[in-house]
Amino acid sequence: MSAVLTVLFNGIAYGFLLFIMSVGLSVTLGMMNFVNLAQASFSMFGGYVMVMAMQWFGVPFLLTLPLVFLVIGVLSVVMERLVFRHFYNTDDLTQVLLTIGLVFMSIATATYFWGGTYQRIDMPPWLIGQREIFGLTLETYRIFLIVIGLAMALALILGLERTRFGAMVRACVDNRRVAGACGLNTGLIFALTFAVGGGLAGLGGALSANLLGLDPNFPLRYLVYLLIIVSVGGMGTISGTLIAGIALGVADVMGKYYFPQFGGFVIYVLTVLCMLWRPQGLMGRKA
Amino acid sequence: MRIVCSALAATALTLAGFAAQAQETVKIGILQSFSGITSLGGQQADGAVKLFMKKYGDTAGGKKIELIRRDTTGPNPEVAKRLVQEVVTRERVNLLIGPDYTPNTLAAAPILMEAKVPSFVTGAATTGIIGEKSKYSTRTFFAVPQLCRPLASYAVKNGWKRVYVAVADFAPGHDCEKYFLEALKEANGELAGNVRIPVSNPEFSGYMQRMRDAKADAVFIFMPIGELSIGILRAINDSGLKSTGIKIMGTGDITDETYIDAVGDAAIGTITTGIYSTQHNSPLNKEFVKEWAELNGKQRIGWGALAVYDSMRLTYDALNAQGAGKFDADKFISFVHGRTFESPRGPVTIDKNNGDIIQNIYIRRVDKVDGVLQNVEIESFSNVGFK
Repeated sequence: MSAVLTVLFNGIAYGFLLFIMSVGLSVTLGMMNFVNLAQASFSMFGGYVMVMAMQWFGVPFLLTLPLVFLVIGVLSVVMERLVFRHFYNTDDLTQVLLTIGLVFMSIATATYFWGGTYQRIDMPPWLIGQREIFGLTLETYRIFLIVIGLAMALALILGLERTRFGAMVRACVDNRRVAGACGLNTGLIFALTFAVGGGLAGLGGALSANLLGLDPNFPLRYLVYLLIIVSVGGMGTISGTLIAGIALGVADVMGKYYFPQFGGFVIYVLTVLCMLWRPQGLMGRKA
Repeated sequence: MRIVCSALAATALTLAGFAAQAQETVKIGILQSFSGITSLGGQQADGAVKLFMKKYGDTAGGKKIELIRRDTTGPNPEVAKRLVQEVVTRERVNLLIGPDYTPNTLAAAPILMEAKVPSFVTGAATTGIIGEKSKYSTRTFFAVPQLCRPLASYAVKNGWKRVYVAVADFAPGHDCEKYFLEALKEANGELAGNVRIPVSNPEFSGYMQRMRDAKADAVFIFMPIGELSIGILRAINDSGLKSTGIKIMGTGDITDETYIDAVGDAAIGTITTGIYSTQHNSPLNKEFVKEWAELNGKQRIGWGALAVYDSMRLTYDALNAQGAGKFDADKFISFVHGRTFESPRGPVTIDKNNGDIIQNIYIRRVDKVDGVLQNVEIESFSNVGFK
């Protein structure tokens, strides 16, 4: 019994990891309707910012998180002003080609500055090892991921889906000209949303680097997972991303435990089935 | 008139110069991965060549050594084939160090065979790619079974009879699983369970629980170099599996010096098989490590660097033995195949029949030496060949 519960817990924690990694993409792709594959690169740079802050300046791990959000948020606004905003009105394929090109450039950039090897990531002692909770031995870092993931989900659902700012973003996406005519500064709103999406991606990279490793190939390796979670969850919903993350996370870990010979498959099979059943995603609005 | 004369004279001189140069130069093609995510291999190769030539000069057998560097960009057979064709037909290289990776080696083999260009295999460990495919090939790296078999008998000898086997789900992983299971059976060990882990896998906890349930004495791991190796060692530590006292074993890939620091203290105690550790206790290796650090700084020495360094050693020895006269590929190969020499990794022999490598395989344990994670050799198997 304790084995089953431990596996379930690990699955949920993995689900939160998937959520944390993909929520940044969910914001830019889902809310702004901009296909930005370079979100995965923002994640990687987030990881490097965390590593540098810890190794070079001795910043404690928890403090690096807001720092990463800020730095990557600013970086993404700069990129938005310089590059992305010129492509808001182009079709999806153009955006995909543009941003996948940026991913390759980011890989080369990271190799140039930090070398091709994997970074050393030292977590603080209180996040290492296991804790006894209700008789179960659980990994401390996974508990931490669940707590942080819940906090992020709550803040985002309240902040983006339930506030005036969130409504303004949706208005701009639905019809930019009318929103502008109503007196909204659409450029500013898009830039801010882009910053939030980028910052979240950076945060995702910083929080996942400990489990996934960090090297210049990070964006390409995990891009597929980001896309799966966002499309299964449904465009434009934070709660959908969370539900998709947890569902696929639990299915993946359970699959690997009970049917190890097909274990790696489960996540893809479920994705295909889910897309056949609800092409708009679990929580997506009908297009 | 005077101008025409001197121009002619100059041309004649230049031509003579060319002729002399063509006679006295040996061109070595260095085909490694110098860019992108696999650029670490190229850096290691560069470091090894630079160190060797600094130490032994840029002439051998009275011939000047000229390097032709090309970037294979990773496991990319199309690119490798084109580059081999180019350096063989246009640059007229006399021999090759590389190309790296199994698919690249296979793509290059037919061209090298036809053009009779000797090559050194410095980055491909698959069995069956040496010998049959090209008699002009020499492997200075290792072959998968050399690393996969020895740990079975070692585990049983130490009383770790029940072994759980976890390999990456791709061809070399299946190979290694087969060789290890064979050896485990021969040693009267017991299989506690086995699993093949997808090559793209960020999550290990389900597998960790299975290993825990299997109550094995030891787990044997084969993973490719990279994030899977880091991931599984960290997962074994984080999940608390390691603190149950289970022994962690695997091929040296999982604790490769080039990224063991990224695994961190989770790697301590891991027992692996390897062809080389910077900790190898011999005067030659101590000198090698010291000179490497002086030249290449902090960059740690991987196995690829050793393979390239030993290829240079064999090349220089063969050229010196040939002496003056034109470069002769057949003489070169008959000198290299069957040769025994002392490498920083220990004694090495090139198989006379197929050009594959015979070398010592070391059992190592990860420990902190002066605050740095190292693979410390604790036992060795002499002259392990390819079976």
